[in-house]
Amino acid sequence: MTVTVSACGLTLRYGAARALDDVSVRLGRGVTGLLGPNGAGKTTLLRVLATAVPADTGAFTVLGHDPGTARGRQEVRRALGYLPQTPGFHPDFTPFEFVDYVAILKELTDRAARHREVRRVLEQVGLGEVRGKRIKKLSGGMRQRVALAAALVGDPGFLVLDEPTVGLDPEQRLRFRELIADAGEDRTVLLSTHQTEDVAMLCHRVLVMAAGRIRFDGTPAELAARADGRVWSSTARDPGAKAGWRTGTGAFRNVGDPPEGADLLEPTLEDGYLLTLDDDLAEVTA
Amino acid sequence: MTATLMRKPAPAAASTGARDSRAAVSALARFEARRLLLSIPVVLAFALYVAWIVWRTLRPSDDYPVLQDADRATQGGPLLVGLVAMLAANQAALRSLRRDTERHFAVLALTPWRRTAAHVLSVVPLALLTAAAVTAQFTWEALKSGAVGRGSVAELLTGPLLVLLFGAIGVLLARLYPSAVAGPLLVVVFLLLFVGGAFPFGGETGPVWLRPVVTTSGVHPFPSDLLGRPAAWHALYLAGLALTAALLAVLVSGGRTRSVRAGLVGVSVLAVLAGVVQTGGVPAATEAARTRASLTPEKDQTCLRRGPSHYCAFPEWTPLVDDWARVAGRVQALAGGSAHERPLLVRQRLEARYGLSGDAALEPATRPDQVTVGTSWGGNRVPEFSMAVAGVLVAGNERRAGELCDGRMVTLMWLSLAWQPDPESVLRNVRLDDSLTGSAVVLSRTEPLTMTAGQTEVVRGLFHRPFQDVAARVKTHWSELTAPGVTTDRAGRLLGVHEEVGLDRCAG
Amino acid sequence: MRSWFARAWSGAALVVPVWRMLPWRALGAAGAVGLLPVALARVSGARPGPLETLVLVRGAVLALALGLAFLLDDPARHTTAPVPARRALRVALRAALVAPVAALWWTAVLLLAPGSGRPPVGDVTLEAATACVLAVAAATVALRHFDEPEPGRGVATTLLAGAVLAPLLLPARWALFVAPADPRWAAAHERWAWVLAGAVVVGAAQLREPLVRRPVLRSPCGTSGPSRTC
Repeated sequence: MTVTVSACGLTLRYGAARALDDVSVRLGRGVTGLLGPNGAGKTTLLRVLATAVPADTGAFTVLGHDPGTARGRQEVRRALGYLPQTPGFHPDFTPFEFVDYVAILKELTDRAARHREVRRVLEQVGLGEVRGKRIKKLSGGMRQRVALAAALVGDPGFLVLDEPTVGLDPEQRLRFRELIADAGEDRTVLLSTHQTEDVAMLCHRVLVMAAGRIRFDGTPAELAARADGRVWSSTARDPGAKAGWRTGTGAFRNVGDPPEGADLLEPTLEDGYLLTLDDDLAEVTA
Repeated sequence: MTATLMRKPAPAAASTGARDSRAAVSALARFEARRLLLSIPVVLAFALYVAWIVWRTLRPSDDYPVLQDADRATQGGPLLVGLVAMLAANQAALRSLRRDTERHFAVLALTPWRRTAAHVLSVVPLALLTAAAVTAQFTWEALKSGAVGRGSVAELLTGPLLVLLFGAIGVLLARLYPSAVAGPLLVVVFLLLFVGGAFPFGGETGPVWLRPVVTTSGVHPFPSDLLGRPAAWHALYLAGLALTAALLAVLVSGGRTRSVRAGLVGVSVLAVLAGVVQTGGVPAATEAARTRASLTPEKDQTCLRRGPSHYCAFPEWTPLVDDWARVAGRVQALAGGSAHERPLLVRQRLEARYGLSGDAALEPATRPDQVTVGTSWGGNRVPEFSMAVAGVLVAGNERRAGELCDGRMVTLMWLSLAWQPDPESVLRNVRLDDSLTGSAVVLSRTEPLTMTAGQTEVVRGLFHRPFQDVAARVKTHWSELTAPGVTTDRAGRLLGVHEEVGLDRCAG
Repeated sequence: MRSWFARAWSGAALVVPVWRMLPWRALGAAGAVGLLPVALARVSGARPGPLETLVLVRGAVLALALGLAFLLDDPARHTTAPVPARRALRVALRAALVAPVAALWWTAVLLLAPGSGRPPVGDVTLEAATACVLAVAAATVALRHFDEPEPGRGVATTLLAGAVLAPLLLPARWALFVAPADPRWAAAHERWAWVLAGAVVVGAAQLREPLVRRPVLRSPCGTSGPSRTC
């Protein structure tokens, strides 16, 4: 793997709380998923890597540039596409104007080339036909796509997406996955999400964060494999299960440590994720 | 919705060209300028401003503009545009905070201070548009056939610089106090200070020049050499303030580069220096020239001969000599006896010793056959001049004309007004209370005249009689009509108006 | 009776949260900007004439009115809109909470205005009340017709434009901004009273939350009304 983004020992405190605790990651081309519960430090890590906030300690490089220097930070920003968790909009702008505005802020100065690029990304996210409509008249899903277009404009080498599929309907999510997968073909994409399904479908690699630390770093299959032999089916909820629920078939699906002779099931990435967090919690409390 | 699911082949990423922060600032400034120029408040304010220019310039009283006054008359309108520019620039600079896009924009390549610089620069096109409007307004005035004098570039620059200054203040305010209420409140403060009269300094000289606009519109225009307005220093002061506000906004946004700091020091020194120099008052040489022009105007004037008379004017007013000669000729043509061809000396006079806003009446001339004409022309100034000519023809000199109280007043008023297309409405205009009955004071550039109710009645009666008949009677009875002591009653009868009128003021 | 009591009780329970939601920063800035020139005139010992004092007082009123334009701003509007406590109650509560503060501020303005040039208190109070009610009424209009959680900025700009243009464009027989020595003073204040009444009516009319977006023609099987059935 060619390393494009490399972070080492990132730590960031908010008062007594450690939002990032000695985080080290190395990313290459393709889509890397970032999973974790609320408050795990995902957004903070993304913001540090997006140069929105400097870490207290630690260092990182993006595409060979060191954001620790003014010039390096500027180069990182030039190579960056960022979709914040709750992207704001200028409701009186049209999608074209908004993305054009962002393109200018990304220092795309040749007007004709910039306008071509804005049209291209709007076309890419499926907003070509409404690019002249005011953003306030667009639906939530369309607005989210405007934000993605703003992140994609200028062909950034490093794309940071903070929960981009929140609030989207299944069709829109599908479309988004397509876009993100496209983007990951020749870029480094870091995708923070709560949707394990998105990670399973999109990512060649997944990081799991909890309490400001990276708890897992591997492929989605490896994360799912963590639940091998720990998911089983039963006719009633198994009291020994860490989580269990009645499925549509009427049988219970349990995750945890199975009893002897249990009817084992094929684990999913979500099972692996749940167990990783649970093991991790046990580790911390122990 | 399914349409969005159809996978379209993604076009290849376009070449986006080289990246350069300075060019990006200019691109952003163009983007913001377009939004600023198209924002509803700015469009409305500018439309109102243009309507004001048209209304102001089309007024009939503005047919003979004096260009050294017309230049500073361009400064009031841009004040409105400037205040709106301040609001609009403030709101534009606050947009990303208000719409919560700041978190996104903060990590983009163009740094916040460069964005601030772009917001300041976005006001420049509006300032240029204002400059175009100012130029159009002034050119319109200058192209009028009756225009005299010369304008000053520094006075014309004030309007556009105001727009720039207020726009920069709007951006600075957004960086110092990022709240939507701050802009409107600052407008209120500025309105109180600069329109509402709450500015602590007044007058024509001294600290009053710290105001952005000092119009001191006087009634009587001055020759341009006597204005004593530090217009160039004031323009520098405004430019210095605008740049100070702009660089301060950039500095507050984090642009702490060496050139920004050095520039800030430079422009604030410029603003302070120009601000101090402009408050220095009228230079002694100008004061001396004002005294000379007031007391011994002949030293500065050019005299031209038209017919039997001489016309002496300050050099900038010589284009009006033909207008004066035409009016004097009309009045003289109606006079009888020797007055018909008497050589007159028409001298332009001005009281400049009390400043631009002084409105002191001129002392009437005592020299025989000298007529005074002021520095403004057009509108009521024309009948005022014709009255001065008629007064000298009837009474011999201006002082005696000002003291007239008998029936000679009837001849004077008829001579001065009868040749005009609608003498009755002109009579109404020159009377202080705009009346057509009763006694009234009649305006004049020197001492005002007074008409009694009887004189008014007789003069109006004459306007209703056939012009040729009255003209013939005036010539026939000229010596009796202009003899001291002739009563209004007698004058009326001589001219064919047999109204019963009371006694004259001086008869009792 | 019970429903009235329940409403009053819910209104009382809302007092503290609404008090905390009021745009105190904007109101404070507006109050300070309005009060400052009057206070400066007092402190500096300047003796402004009646006209100058009137201009200062009117400037203060305009500043406060601009602050009040932000009274109904509510960033959480989309969350608070569908609650059972009606919009009229919520708006009235905001107005009621801010009214005593505004009254105190106005008293301070009048006390600070130099005594010799102080304009007739009753009449300028009428002007002040009209300006404040107009500001809140304009905010209710914006609330009703625009889906914007914080319409204050637009309302303030409109109000400011009105305050600048009205003295310039109003014909002499409808003049509102006259000087105390002007013979039209009494007639102008009659007009102020009418404007106040108009603002109250318009403001109150906007408080009703419409059940339908626009009136629809009655149809044999309408679905526009909540109680309409086939």
